[in-house]
Amino acid sequence: MATRKAMKYSVIILLEEHEEDFPKYVQNLYNLFASRDESFEILIMANGIGGFLRNVLAQLNSLNDKLKAFEFSAKTSEAVCLRTALKESNGQIVVACGSFEQITKDSFVHLLESLDEKTDFISPWRHQRVDSRLRRFRSKAFNALVRKITKTDLHDLNCRVKIFRREVLEETELYGNMYRYLPILAAHKGFKIKEVRCEHSQEHGGKSGVANIPEYFARIIDILTLYFNTRFTKKPLRFFSTIGLGFILAGFFITFYVFLQRFFVGHPIGDRPILLLAILLMVLGVQAASVGLLGEIIVFTHGRKKKEYTIEKTI
Amino acid sequence: MSVDLTIAVPLYNEEESVEKLVSRVLQVCEHLDVSYEILLVDDGSRDKTWEIVEGLSRRVPELRGVKFRRNYGQTSAMVAAFDHAKGEVIITMDGDLQNDPADIPRLLEKIEKGFDIVSGWRRDRKDHFARVVLSKIANSIISLTTGVKLHDYGCSLKAYRAKCIKSLSAYGEMHRFFPALASMTGALVTEVPVRHHPRKYGVSKYGFNRIFKVFSDMFAMNLIIRFSSNPLKGFVLCTVPFLLLILFFGGLGALALALQWTAGKALFFMMSAALSAMAVIHLAILGVIGELVVGTSDLSHTELPEIAKRNIPINGEESAAKGSKQRAKQKKVSIG
Repeated sequence: MATRKAMKYSVIILLEEHEEDFPKYVQNLYNLFASRDESFEILIMANGIGGFLRNVLAQLNSLNDKLKAFEFSAKTSEAVCLRTALKESNGQIVVACGSFEQITKDSFVHLLESLDEKTDFISPWRHQRVDSRLRRFRSKAFNALVRKITKTDLHDLNCRVKIFRREVLEETELYGNMYRYLPILAAHKGFKIKEVRCEHSQEHGGKSGVANIPEYFARIIDILTLYFNTRFTKKPLRFFSTIGLGFILAGFFITFYVFLQRFFVGHPIGDRPILLLAILLMVLGVQAASVGLLGEIIVFTHGRKKKEYTIEKTI
Repeated sequence: MSVDLTIAVPLYNEEESVEKLVSRVLQVCEHLDVSYEILLVDDGSRDKTWEIVEGLSRRVPELRGVKFRRNYGQTSAMVAAFDHAKGEVIITMDGDLQNDPADIPRLLEKIEKGFDIVSGWRRDRKDHFARVVLSKIANSIISLTTGVKLHDYGCSLKAYRAKCIKSLSAYGEMHRFFPALASMTGALVTEVPVRHHPRKYGVSKYGFNRIFKVFSDMFAMNLIIRFSSNPLKGFVLCTVPFLLLILFFGGLGALALALQWTAGKALFFMMSAALSAMAVIHLAILGVIGELVVGTSDLSHTELPEIAKRNIPINGEESAAKGSKQRAKQKKVSIG
């Protein structure tokens, strides 16, 4: 269990782009929380955007008592930003947001109120996107794929707003730019996730054309990482030996088939390229499986402190 | 504060039996002349198990509980129990009352004699016929492959000397092989017959597809045990079939060149030999990296000498003799 923190909400804003409306956005968030009875603080994490933060802070002078701002002069990962913010924050509940408004004010309040005793994590679902058709389709396809692969039931990972208890981030191994998958990683650790429908406030301009190849590529790598991390970190042998076994079996089947042809149809086999393929497959299979075995040895000898289980309570 | 004995019980949806279990364990422990604690690990139960445990802990000062955030399986529950236990001896048992707490003193007797791990052996199993037969087959295979001879690997009622079993890395169905894992670091393993009762409450949490998992985990475990004591040797042994293939294909290729068969044939044989050579090189490199990995770990080098140094009088017991032989072998491995 985490130590009791004095404050109720820590609003953590990840500022990664020059947003013109940013001061207004922060002001709105401030007003939203100020109108509620609970204590709160706002942390702005500026991630490698030069002097922009100073301009912003000059305009937000009036909020000084609730505001903390941090600046990473060189661009770092989302995970580092979030961890730093968590260390500096005092809230029991973390409200993480992006650098522009994504959901309407009413929905935001609704999200805050959805976090009840039995829930650890609120993941918003902008079920009616105000976006171009391409973006909607892309987002849908991406989320469906992630649902399928991770066997979770979340529809809108791309929304930057995520509300969760402090323990979630403390106990989840978040690294790199896996912030959007935080609900999945948290669910894997046994936290209770609730998805809440909310209203998308506006379309946000910005660079994201059809042909943003590196972006698509990054997403695919993300999904693979997620797949491996949620299932096989403690058992790499299983992962690699399944792949290896597939290769080896394919190799065997081809060999078998070629030999059948040799003895029953009389096809010569000596100079058939397919037999070479069979041997290649078997070698690949052995290589994959042996890498898995090495991975397993690493986990066995070095990964003992990393526990597979997470503990909710002890008495 | 440490105690002499920890009774560790993993629980998963056992609301009907947990209260009875605790009272029976208490009955047994009160007659023992040792300090003890009962450690209940709730493996993410969805029924009232944890509420009952919390209620019991108010009445029973010796009771401690650990609750998982979600269901992680019996092996993780046992690993958590080992991590949290304060006792010098840890006894694990099932939460469904199929094991009899009255057998605890018999296990402890063996521990006092100097054994490090004592496994229960359900001589008369009260289970479905098919399960009994299957598990017999499984047990003999496990005994053969791991080199630790036990009749009943699946029995949860086991006693461990804590220092032999702390900080384990295990998953899946591996809790069955804890004795084998521990014997790797030189622990002495033996077994005693224990009682077994038919299940009264709840449903069995075993299915037939579990058998496949048990076997694949056993296979993995064997590989890990064998390879991590001497990775280079293990990987180099794996190259043998490929070396033979190189000889075979290389010979054929030379023949093809000498006798001037078709160019395609010669190329094919030479390519096959080259592919096999690739596999050999790959495996040899992995073996070297494996040595680096094991060499830089703190595994067993700290735990081993302490256990191996102890001088235990062994009085002609079969498994004990095997244990000592094994221990001698392991000792050599650890030094080398």
